[in-house]
Amino acid sequence: MGVIMEKRIRRYNIIVASIVFIGLPILFWALGDFPRRSSLKEILSVLTLVAFSLMLGQFFLARSNKKVLTGHKMSTIIKYHKYIGYIFVSVLLLHPFLLVLPRYFESGVEPTDAFITIITTTNSIGVVLGIIAYCLLLILGLTSIFRNQLKMSYKTWRVFHGILSIVFIAIATIHVIDLGRHTNTAMISYFVTLSGIGIFLLLRTYILKSSGGTK
Amino acid sequence: MAIENINGCIGCGICVQTCPTDVIRLDPKTKKAIIKYPADCQICHLCRMYCPVDAISITPEKSIPVIVSWG
Amino acid sequence: MTNVNTKNEMSRRKFMGLAGGAIGMATLASMGIPGWAANKIKIDPESLEYLEKETDVLVIGGGMAGLFAAVKAHDAGAKALMVSKGRLGSSGQTPFAKGIFAYDPSTAAMTLDEFTATVSRSALGSNNSVYTKQMAEHSLARVNELKDWGFFDSALYNKSFSKPINERNIPLLERIVITNLIKENGKIAGAAGFSLDEEKVYIFKAKSVILCTGAGGFKPNGFPICDLTHDGTIMAYNIGAKVTGKEWNDGHPGQATNAAACYDGWHGMFERKPSVNGIEVHHDLGVDLNYMAYTNGNPVQMGPPGAGESNPISGGPYIPAEFNRMSSDKPKDGPEDGKKPPRGERPEKGGKPGEGDAPPGMGGTSVGGSSAGMSIHKSEGLVPINDKCESTIPGLYAAGDALGSYMAGAIYTQIGSSLAGSAVQGAIAGEAAAVYSESANTPVISKAKIKALQEEMLAPLHREAGYSPAWVTQTLQGIMIPNFVLYVKKESMLKAALAYVEELRDHHAPMLRAADLHELRLVHETKNMIATAEMKLKASILRKESRCSHYRLDYPELDNENWQAWINIFKDEEGNMQFEKQAFNSWPNENLFHQI
Ligand SMILES: Cc1cc2nc3c(=O)[nH]c(=O)nc-3n(C[C@H](O)[C@H](O)[C@H](O)COP(=O)(O)OP(=O)(O)OC[C@H]3O[C@@H](n4cnc5c(N)ncnc54)[C@H](O)[C@@H]3O)c2cc1C
Ligand code: SF4
Ligand code: SF4
Repeated sequence: MGVIMEKRIRRYNIIVASIVFIGLPILFWALGDFPRRSSLKEILSVLTLVAFSLMLGQFFLARSNKKVLTGHKMSTIIKYHKYIGYIFVSVLLLHPFLLVLPRYFESGVEPTDAFITIITTTNSIGVVLGIIAYCLLLILGLTSIFRNQLKMSYKTWRVFHGILSIVFIAIATIHVIDLGRHTNTAMISYFVTLSGIGIFLLLRTYILKSSGGTK
Repeated sequence: MAIENINGCIGCGICVQTCPTDVIRLDPKTKKAIIKYPADCQICHLCRMYCPVDAISITPEKSIPVIVSWG
Repeated sequence: MTNVNTKNEMSRRKFMGLAGGAIGMATLASMGIPGWAANKIKIDPESLEYLEKETDVLVIGGGMAGLFAAVKAHDAGAKALMVSKGRLGSSGQTPFAKGIFAYDPSTAAMTLDEFTATVSRSALGSNNSVYTKQMAEHSLARVNELKDWGFFDSALYNKSFSKPINERNIPLLERIVITNLIKENGKIAGAAGFSLDEEKVYIFKAKSVILCTGAGGFKPNGFPICDLTHDGTIMAYNIGAKVTGKEWNDGHPGQATNAAACYDGWHGMFERKPSVNGIEVHHDLGVDLNYMAYTNGNPVQMGPPGAGESNPISGGPYIPAEFNRMSSDKPKDGPEDGKKPPRGERPEKGGKPGEGDAPPGMGGTSVGGSSAGMSIHKSEGLVPINDKCESTIPGLYAAGDALGSYMAGAIYTQIGSSLAGSAVQGAIAGEAAAVYSESANTPVISKAKIKALQEEMLAPLHREAGYSPAWVTQTLQGIMIPNFVLYVKKESMLKAALAYVEELRDHHAPMLRAADLHELRLVHETKNMIATAEMKLKASILRKESRCSHYRLDYPELDNENWQAWINIFKDEEGNMQFEKQAFNSWPNENLFHQI
């Protein structure tokens, strides 16, 4: 493959990825019949939505998606994976607080009271799954940052990271479907499809690997 | 139509308690808030202000005919 | 005259000839809601659980008055229990009031007696000066307690109200609709109600009861009082208590577009944190605007009553010169502490127009009737027999908007005193009820009585067919709310409306149906509204003069010879509605009243 061609494919991949993981959720948000609120609230909502879809995107910015990513240097891919991960994991970790942040500027219930109510509503499956997903995400983030300090071989870490991701994304997707303010049918199908494919890709590499099918 | 939409409800039930005119109830199956008696909404926004996740949106129109002193 | 009822009886046909289609037309408005139909019952009325609770002092209502009543009854050593139809600090009118008056002797420009005299002048003598002075005297102490509980830190009051209640472990039962007061051997014995959530009937046995049930209205559009239907007043009336103040009107206007949207009409004031204000006595929110609309036609451009109208109308409600802000060059606005509220927010007494910027309808066209069915705060409710908020029934107390204390008189006088008055009276009633219950025995309520109460309470659930409470309510609104019935009064029209209301009372109220507990609540509220409407019309017919917020087109003058008196209403042995006059500034036991 020629260099120019590769470059074009790379650019093409980046555009497609941006459309799928950033454009589509924004499109569904824009087209959906949701009540519009203050711009701060809408910006925070969109940020959280995009953060989640980029989290799904992480499955495609990994070795499991090698086929599509030929033409990209794996090290660059991993770099992207890392940066996107750090930024948007932080957003998602902040999201329970971002949710109640606008209350600080208005006169509804106080942010801290709202937050306490949220995390103590344990009769809601969505909230419980959210808390579990939050913990998993926290572990995912921390184990990535402190990977070198963990006494784990890179291979083991990768499996650990992958499996943790699968569990996280499954739980988080259910949480999003149950509680998401903007989860209409389009958004649900989108999230389910992407997380399905992502999980499938990752599982496939494991299965192929364990059956000795890796090239 | 007064209280109009509930999006992103976590089912804490605070709005049910808060509504002075008993408009909102928790759906026994989904455990989420539903607008059960919209005609009785007095458009006071208390439910919206008390909701921890700001899930409730309200419009200024009443869903039943409005009687005033002159028109 | 002993009974307005018989004297003013009028046939339906005569009425139609008299009133033309006017009221009939208004009544048509309710056609949008289905009326008579089969009752599609959604719960099994037989399966309702039955519960009994016992306490020394039962506080009914979770607003400002209820809060202090429960706290002070507890602090005075009684076992207190609070029950409310809604949530603590989030039901009734309290959640929407943002200005509270405090009389601070160290900074006040007048003495307590001067203040009381000023209020009396504005109220044209219609206030009970003992209650006026008491409110001012205790206001600062209550405000300071509220401060400690965090009341002024949030626009929402549930948290600060919960603090003293939780600290004292006062049992609190929310979303229980009280439908009946229980009297045994001439004394209060408790109350009965049902839960909105749990399919449970509650019987409360109490040595004393404090009604903190607020005021009410005809579920009007534009004022957040659709949960209040004078339940306390009517329940007390039904067991023989004297009630008062029904001829007065809160003449609150609303905005013409989306008149029902309280939140929007008040321009975000509901989101404001409360604040304290000092002395400022007005003569506000009678029916001047209604008169203006009546004589000028519509639409009425909003201007504060008593202030700033460019082309003043001759005649109409009388405003004492001292308080006429049309003549004074600059109406004061804003709380006395000089803090001007942000634009678009109401200062002080919460948007009583004429008290500052941006009342409902400001900048746009206003309509009347936004608080239809409500009198001036504290002018209607149970008749007190002393300065301890005690009613004419031993052991039964009332405080705040549920007590006809005439603290402010028959017109809005001191800004922010409604909230302060509820706090002060709640505390006084709480202490008095605690003292009373020390020497009272736990009442015994007979099984038969409980059974009868329960049957009466739940009857609408058993009806196979009947009128929907929503339809009857709308019909009542159509009859009562028109300007020419409720606000700009004349005998012919009052009697005409009364014929309609009596029809609802005799034929519709007994046949209201309820499919679930929400509708059962509506049924009881509708009945209370019908009773209130009857009282309002009859008392208005009786008061053949104009004063403060009661305006008679056919008797436009003040009549100081005959009407320096309040009108008390009570049920006689045969169950008929009776009326008596009680001289201003007297107590019922002073025998200064005579039957009329
Ligand atoms: C929009 C608005 C703005 C206002 N602004 C001001 C202001 O700025 N300053 C001021 O001083 N005043 C203001 N007021 C008036 C003030 O709010 C009231 O006078 C005061 O809050 C009355 O308090 P309360 O405790 O007596 O009654 P409420 O607060 O009305 O409480 C009544 C309680 O009784 C309960 N209840 C009623 N019926 C039943 C039943 N059948 N069974 C069980 N419980 C029942 C209700 O649930 C509620 O908890 C305003 C009122 C409104 C509506
Ligand atoms: S308060 Fe909000 S989150 Fe809680 S039940 Fe109501 S809508 Fe749902
Ligand atoms: S706006 Fe007020 S009346 Fe309407 S549902 Fe919310 S709390 Fe109830």
